[in-house]
This record gives sequence, C-alpha cells and structure tokens, in this order.
Amino acid sequence: MNAPLFKFEYFNTDVSLIIAFAIGIAFGIALEKGGFGRATILASQFYFTNMRVLKVMFTAIVTAMLGLYFLSVVGFVDLSLIYLTQTNMLPMIVGGLIAGVGFVIGGYCPGTSMVAVATGKIDAVVYVIGMVFGIFIFGEMFPSIENFFNSGFMGSVTLPAYFNLSYGFVVFLVVLMAIGAFAAAEWGEKKMAAKAGKEKQ
Amino acid sequence: MKKFFSNLTTNQKLGGVALVLGIMALFAGDPYGGTTIKVNEKDIALSTVGNSDKVSVTELADWIIKDRADFELIDLRSEEKYNEYTIPNSQCIPLLQLSASELQRNQKIILFSDDDVASSQAWFILKSKNYKGVYILDGGLNKWKENVLFPKAPINGSKDELVQFEKMKEVAKYFGGQAQTDSSITENTTLIKLPTSTTTKTKTTTPTGKKKKREGC
Amino acid sequence: MISLTKILTHAFEKDESHVHIEMKEKPYSNPYLVGVGLGLVLLAAFVIMGRGLGASGALSTAVAVTVNKIAPEHTSQNNFYKEYIGDENTNPLMDWLIFQTLGVLVGGFISGIISHRVKKGIEKGPRISSKMRLIYAFVGGGLLGYGAKLARGCMSGQALSGGAVLNLGSWAFMMMVFAGGYAAAYFMRRQWI
Repeated sequence: MNAPLFKFEYFNTDVSLIIAFAIGIAFGIALEKGGFGRATILASQFYFTNMRVLKVMFTAIVTAMLGLYFLSVVGFVDLSLIYLTQTNMLPMIVGGLIAGVGFVIGGYCPGTSMVAVATGKIDAVVYVIGMVFGIFIFGEMFPSIENFFNSGFMGSVTLPAYFNLSYGFVVFLVVLMAIGAFAAAEWGEKKMAAKAGKEKQ
Repeated sequence: MKKFFSNLTTNQKLGGVALVLGIMALFAGDPYGGTTIKVNEKDIALSTVGNSDKVSVTELADWIIKDRADFELIDLRSEEKYNEYTIPNSQCIPLLQLSASELQRNQKIILFSDDDVASSQAWFILKSKNYKGVYILDGGLNKWKENVLFPKAPINGSKDELVQFEKMKEVAKYFGGQAQTDSSITENTTLIKLPTSTTTKTKTTTPTGKKKKREGC
Repeated sequence: MISLTKILTHAFEKDESHVHIEMKEKPYSNPYLVGVGLGLVLLAAFVIMGRGLGASGALSTAVAVTVNKIAPEHTSQNNFYKEYIGDENTNPLMDWLIFQTLGVLVGGFISGIISHRVKKGIEKGPRISSKMRLIYAFVGGGLLGYGAKLARGCMSGQALSGGAVLNLGSWAFMMMVFAGGYAAAYFMRRQWI
C-alpha cells in the first residue's frame, strides 16, 4: 500500500468526493466537541481566559506532523506527493494580520463558523455572509492587487528547507515549542482564573 | 516507577508521548527517502526485471495509437539521438539525469533506450528509490524498429500470423515506417521523423495530465 | 442593513441570559484530546488524499461560480475567479473542499445534537448588544474572507494543514493571525469580556 492513496490511484475522483464528505463530518465533529462552535470560546483565546484555540490547534498540528513524519520515514507515505501550498511571504503576512483582526472582530474563522452555523448561531450566519462579501471584494479588487498577491514568491518551501535543518530536527523543535506553549497557556489560564476569583471577592 | 506513571495526568501523559516522539524524530532520518539509495545485497540478487515489468513494442504501439496518456514514456538516450528519431510522446531524460528528474513515484513510467541495457539500469535506479510503476520497453528502440516500423512478413506463416502481419502493416504506416514484404530484407536507413508536436512534452507536475487541481484552502 | 440586524437581534433578545448560563454548565472535552482527534482527521486527509483540510476555498468556489453565472465575461478576465471555476470539463461545484465543508456542517450538527448544544442564539460577551455583535460579525467575516484569500488559505487550510507539513508560508501566516488577533483584542474587549 502506498500513500497518499488518492495519488496512487486507489480510487477515483468521484469516490474522493465521498471521502471529502466523510472527512468533513469527522472534522466538524472534532471542532464542535472542542467547543469551537462558539465565538465566545474562540475569542477568549485572545484574552487569556480560555486558551483552547491554542491547545487544540497546536495539538492537532503536532499530531498530524508526527504522524506524517513517521509514516514517511518508514516509507508508507510519499511525502513529496503531499500538497504544499506555495509561499508568497508578504501577502501571507499581510493576509494573516488582516485575518487575525477579522478573527477577533468576527469571533470565528471559516471552519468554525460552519460548525457554529450548524449549531444555530445567528452571528455565525452573519459572519459567513460577511466572509462571502469579503471574498467577493477581494475578487473584484483582484486585478489591481494581483501583483501584490503574487509577490514574495518562494515556491513550495518547508521550514526545514528554509532554515537548512533536518526535517526531524524541526519536528523536534516544534514539539518542544508546542509543549512550552501549552505549559505557558495552562499557567496563564490559572493566573487569569485566580485574578477573576480575587476580583469577585 | 509504575506509581509515577499512573500518577501523571492525561495531559502530562500526552505531553510525554509527544516529547518521546519528538526526540525520536531527531534520529529517525529523512522522510523524503533521500537521494541516497540503500541497497540490500540479497535484493540486488533477487531483483531482476520480471516479465510483468516489461512492455512489448506492439503493446506500446497500440497504446499510442489509442491515445492513452496514463503513462510517461522516457527516452534514456542522448538528446542528439532523441532529436534524430524517437518514439512519439516520449520525453528525453538521459540516464544520468534520471535521478534529478521530476518523475513522481506514483506515475506509470516506461523506459527505453536502444537496447535493454540502459533501460534495465534505469529500472533498477528507480525501483531502489521506491518508484512503483516502472517498466521497460522490451527490446528497446531496436525492437521497435524491427517489429513496429518495419515489420517483416512471416514466411509460410499461419493464418493468425498473416492476420497479425496485416495489422502491423497499418501500425507501421501510422508511425511512418514501412512493412517489409519481400524475403530480401531491405533496411530502410533513413528514419522518418514524426511530427514532433507530441514528442516535446512540457513537463507537468500533475501525473495524470488533468487540470491542476487546487489543493489548498 | 441596520434594520435587518435589528430584526435578527430582536428575535433573540430573550435568549441572552440563556447563553451565559449554558456556558458555565456545559463542559467541553479535554482540549488536548480534541486536538489529537483533530490531528488524526487531518492525518487521514493527508494519507488518503495527499492534501489537508480547508474551509475558505469552498466559499471562494461558491462566490466565483455565482459571479460567473451572472457575468461570465467578467470572470474570464479575472485570474482569481478563473482559478476557482476551472475548465469547462468539470463542474466546479464538484469540488473536494465543497464536499468537505458540507461534511463539516453535518458533523458539527450531529455533534451538537448529541451534546444538546444546538440552540438558536447569538454568541457574544456581556457588555455588548446583539445588534453590534452582528455588525461586528459581518465586518469580521469580511476581513477574514479578504485576508484568507490574500494569504491563500485560512486557519484550517494554512495554519492547520500547512502547519502540519511545516510549510514556511503557513507558519508565517499562523504567527501573523495570532499577532493580529492579540493586537485587535484590546480594542474589541467590549465585545467579549
């Protein structure tokens, strides 16, 4: 067996759509269980009261990263066939900032907003409408910002490639960083809770 | 010791597992399979190009006529030879440049050279790099010329052989060759170069040639 | 637009107190375990499809297809829309992301139903009116839609999926999202805390 299965043509495009749906369901369940269907929980990340977003996201990244790494090392997965979005440094930085601001103002990100819509949150519906609008504006503005959009092109580059470190070493660093971030998050949450507790008294 | 482990919270256990895996990652090596080929002696002895890894010239001719595009046809010879004459729809990747090429592990790759020597070498190189669908053109370009371009009429052939020969006549014509009908074999040394619009293939990174699908967010 | 938000918020004014009480009563699963679960879903996507998850892409396709229906000459000139419409051979709506996103809706609903967490309402902090919340939701969505397209992905596509494959741009994007979020948090504190 070789992976990614689709790229080795174990099944065709139509089946892949069914798989997409199934994976989506799993994705939605995971997000909802994590409490990500609620803007208040998502936003509390930025006030240090509830660091769920950081914990879930980084744990997910580390899990998938470790899984992918070890499956590739043993030869089951062909890592070179996994899609890597191209890096356009400046647009991604600017886009990230805008998206971050949007996240705190809107209270959702695209994936979580879907879960929120599914659980009946009206603000999520409005948020999705807003997103559609934002995408539309982007599309309409595209010809004039197309050059910027394509600037800073660096090809498909990974962290290990860019920093000239071995892949395994970067994996290790990411794990360390994540654990460090989690420890800091736990500490931060406790502090905020204690502060809130003190204030109540 | 056991008590220590059982006293850890779930979170700490998770963190511990992650840390262990992270440290393992330091030593586990390159996930890309690397450019170095690790070869096992036994494997060398055992691995020979089996019959299932060969494609006959008539099969290939058939696929080309049927316009099948699900494989990559690789001409391993030099560029001058490639430009002089090559099988239609082939890419020129000289043997030395094979490792550096953009061929992907999940593509169906058919290798050929003048005979079977270079193609067998290339087959072995790719197989040790874990390429899955590697085939050689049985007999190489020499066989192609002999059977496809200039098929010889069977002397005192059976009915089946004669029918087959008639079919090969058409095939030969398709590829710009000519069937040899007399018993004195006249070798046509001027090889006809077929329209090259299909031979120079732009190297695409999508193995199936479909439109490049966005796979991002 | 303002009147629309008025209508929407008025319908749910009563539920405000509900939302606060519910928040304290419903425990969510251990975030790390959820993270592992999410990571496994992501890993499955990689192993099965060779790609990660996504969200904004589905909306982009929807927008592009709609605009194309209304004004095809306009989209043919525009490289952004063109990419999401693809060629004439395949229906652009038969897209992996669209199906995945539909799955997210279904999955979120199923999980919500099982945990009794499906409830009509407006998520917001205690110091803000529903009307303002909806306006912010719209603005925030717009910004995020714009920013995500500029960065070629959103949290799911870039941060999660790109992050797991150690994509340079994805990590840069992720850091910037946190940066932007924390920077704006101070100004938005009225809405949430």
